[in-house]
Amino acid sequence: MNERAFAGRQAPAQAAFRVLVVDDDPDMAMLLSRVLVKEGMVVDTVYDGDAALVHAMSSAPDLILLDVMLPGLGGFDICERLKADDVTALIPIILVTALEDTQSRVRGIEAGADDFLSKPVKVEELIARVKTLRRLHDTRRELEARRLAAEVQRKETIRKAFSRYISPRLAERIISDLGDDGLPFQSHAQRISVVALFADLRGFTRLTETIKVDKVVAMLNEYFAVITEAAFRNDGTIFSMAGDCLLVGFNVPFPQPDAAVRAWRTAQDMIASFAPVLAGWTQGGGTPTGVGIGIASGEAIIGNIGSPHHMSYTIIGDAVNTAARLMQMARAGELLVSGAVYDSIRGLVPSSSVASRGNVALRGKTEATPVYAIELASVRAR
Amino acid sequence: MNNEGHKVIVAKDLEDLIPIFIGNRHKEVEALRAALAAADFEQLRMLGHRMKGVGNSYGFERISVFGKQVEDGARSGDRAGIEICIAEYRDYLSRVQISYE
Repeated sequence: MNERAFAGRQAPAQAAFRVLVVDDDPDMAMLLSRVLVKEGMVVDTVYDGDAALVHAMSSAPDLILLDVMLPGLGGFDICERLKADDVTALIPIILVTALEDTQSRVRGIEAGADDFLSKPVKVEELIARVKTLRRLHDTRRELEARRLAAEVQRKETIRKAFSRYISPRLAERIISDLGDDGLPFQSHAQRISVVALFADLRGFTRLTETIKVDKVVAMLNEYFAVITEAAFRNDGTIFSMAGDCLLVGFNVPFPQPDAAVRAWRTAQDMIASFAPVLAGWTQGGGTPTGVGIGIASGEAIIGNIGSPHHMSYTIIGDAVNTAARLMQMARAGELLVSGAVYDSIRGLVPSSSVASRGNVALRGKTEATPVYAIELASVRAR
Repeated sequence: MNNEGHKVIVAKDLEDLIPIFIGNRHKEVEALRAALAAADFEQLRMLGHRMKGVGNSYGFERISVFGKQVEDGARSGDRAGIEICIAEYRDYLSRVQISYE
């Protein structure tokens, strides 16, 4: 159905039913109007075809009683034009005519008329036909209202479900971008500057070999609960969660001029938030571990990547690879950042917590990358 | 024609519209006569078509009958038949007795 025409007529359930009467005979127009007003309807009257077309398109009445033989545009032509326009296509039209031949009726049906009323008009028949179309109209309106409510509910359900896996802002963005085929971001694949943060629970893989499976899941849930919250608090977008590793993007898909600073704060937040969890694990006899983090900036491609059956909205590119390599090198409680990222956060990091690792040849990269190590545990203690 | 043929019962709701309606019918007679004098059969056909539609809508069955006669006569070019019909229409309007229920 036409979303624009209906939206323009969102009205309370008891809103007046508006009828446009089109007849060049003032006596006939007056009669039709009088009968319908008595039935509680609101009636506008026009006396020629051109005015009828303008009125119908501008005011979108709930029903049109349309004479066939009119000065200017004839009833059939008006009917055809209104039914061909998305805004007016669903307005019921009753052709009111003294034409008795079958050919005229067929012409009316072909023009899209919803019903016919013969002249001379019998008042009882007029009322019955209008009421029938009004019931259909009301039903259609109610169904549309229900459809809209269901759509809102569906999106809310999706939003709640998505929000357990991705940042609430990204969930909102995906829902607002959903196309008719249900796929988001179809036209949003693009190359942009990003800041990528990888976080990993150091030594956890070895730990999982010595503890029970249900305990592993419980520990991972605790870990991810605090570090994803840290990412969300700083408006990071979580792109993947694999094993004990988390990829968070900044400046994507929303512009964030302070992306590097946000990534830095996220790293601090993750370490600080995870500290009580880690303390609990250690007290419970678990093997000491900690979060290692890598941050790098640069160009990346963002988009839907995968197959029609399984697709990920993700980022790929040099910045992501570099952040991953830095994370792999980071010790528990340590943050490794690329030179470009460090330049952006230099003023925020206590110099005593920073150590340059020089230019490091990262696996898969032809050029050495300047790397800085920041001891996050000591930053947090300050 | 006896008086029974001139009695019309109109819905009470339409009572206030009837003086306008009858006034327009008298104007219609003059329009019919002018069109006939000009031998404008297309105009006669349109006027007859309109009379056919509006007459009995208000309860004036005879007006619809006159309208059909004029419309048919215009299509066939029956000038004499239309002239008689217009005269009878004029006479009818002068004699019609309207009551409201």
